[in-house]
Amino acid sequence: MMRLEQPEVLAIREEEMTMSACETLMAPNPASANVSALSLKSFAPRRPTKRRKSAQDEARLIDRLKAGDQDALEEVFNLYSAKLYNVALRILGDAGDTEEVIQDVFWMAYRKAKSFQGNAQFSTWLYRLTVNAALGKIRRSKKNKEVEYEEFLPRFQKDGHHAVRPVVDWSDTLDEKYTSREVQRLLGKFLDQLKPIDKSVIVLSDLEGLSDKEIAVALDLTVSAVKTRLHRARLFLRGKMAVHLGYTAA
Amino acid sequence: MAKRKQSSKALTAKTCRQMTDLVLGYLTGKLSPNVKREFEQHLAVCPDCVNFLNTYKKTVAVTKSVQQKDLPARVRDNLLTFLRKRMRRLGAVLLYIVTQIAI
Repeated sequence: MMRLEQPEVLAIREEEMTMSACETLMAPNPASANVSALSLKSFAPRRPTKRRKSAQDEARLIDRLKAGDQDALEEVFNLYSAKLYNVALRILGDAGDTEEVIQDVFWMAYRKAKSFQGNAQFSTWLYRLTVNAALGKIRRSKKNKEVEYEEFLPRFQKDGHHAVRPVVDWSDTLDEKYTSREVQRLLGKFLDQLKPIDKSVIVLSDLEGLSDKEIAVALDLTVSAVKTRLHRARLFLRGKMAVHLGYTAA
Repeated sequence: MAKRKQSSKALTAKTCRQMTDLVLGYLTGKLSPNVKREFEQHLAVCPDCVNFLNTYKKTVAVTKSVQQKDLPARVRDNLLTFLRKRMRRLGAVLLYIVTQIAI
């Protein structure tokens, strides 16, 4: 059994994003002091010249935000609101809670923009604000149920072989039995059974396409812990699907 | 059964348990050439691990195919209204402070 290298719950302060957490993320880094080096990696067009222009535009936008320009906040909102809404909605699973979290995130981004020093990508910073706010909301609401993964993880004999053999390949059965909409609904249900921090890792990795390193920064985890959580969450989802199809998770 | 036992003996040092732990690295191309070779040698003789790998890959594919939801126009409007109100209030507070200092 893989061992988690981090505590089960991400140690985030009671406030979603305190100044000290912001400062940790945004501490001056000589290697990346040039603000123009910032880029909208996840959102930028692919051509280098356009990317460069986009990075310069973003750097100017951040400067305006830091100066308290209210139009800049609206521009940031227009650029990122759809993405961040999706992330929060996937983690929280409730539209009302998501709306509250997103309004707090953008307000926090406006108020604390000055502490952003370009040590991470601006989008990563916004992801971090969003995930922290969403996890804080779950913690405060006490909706967080304890999820037992073991039943849905692969099991092995003492000699290291699969405990239940043969292991069935149900990958085609899933498509034969369900429409893609049904599969999505099913997966949504299983995603909601993940621990919030693991769900955050899955959402940022598989749904948003962030790298392990970016996720580590956004969630304040080590890269190794991100990989461990991602793998374990996928094993759980695999097990849930197998059991749903009538097979063993092992 | 005898055939299976023979196959198992032909495995590299990697067990099915170890294979499960390595699958993420395998799929992201992060295994060293030696470990990757051992991984693939194991797959060549272990249909259980092949099936495990296929179902793991399917799980990842399904997760990655989850569709993004649009930000509803009503929610977007609510959020913008909230932010504009907050900014106006903040502006008024700052103006008041500046005025008081000037006086």
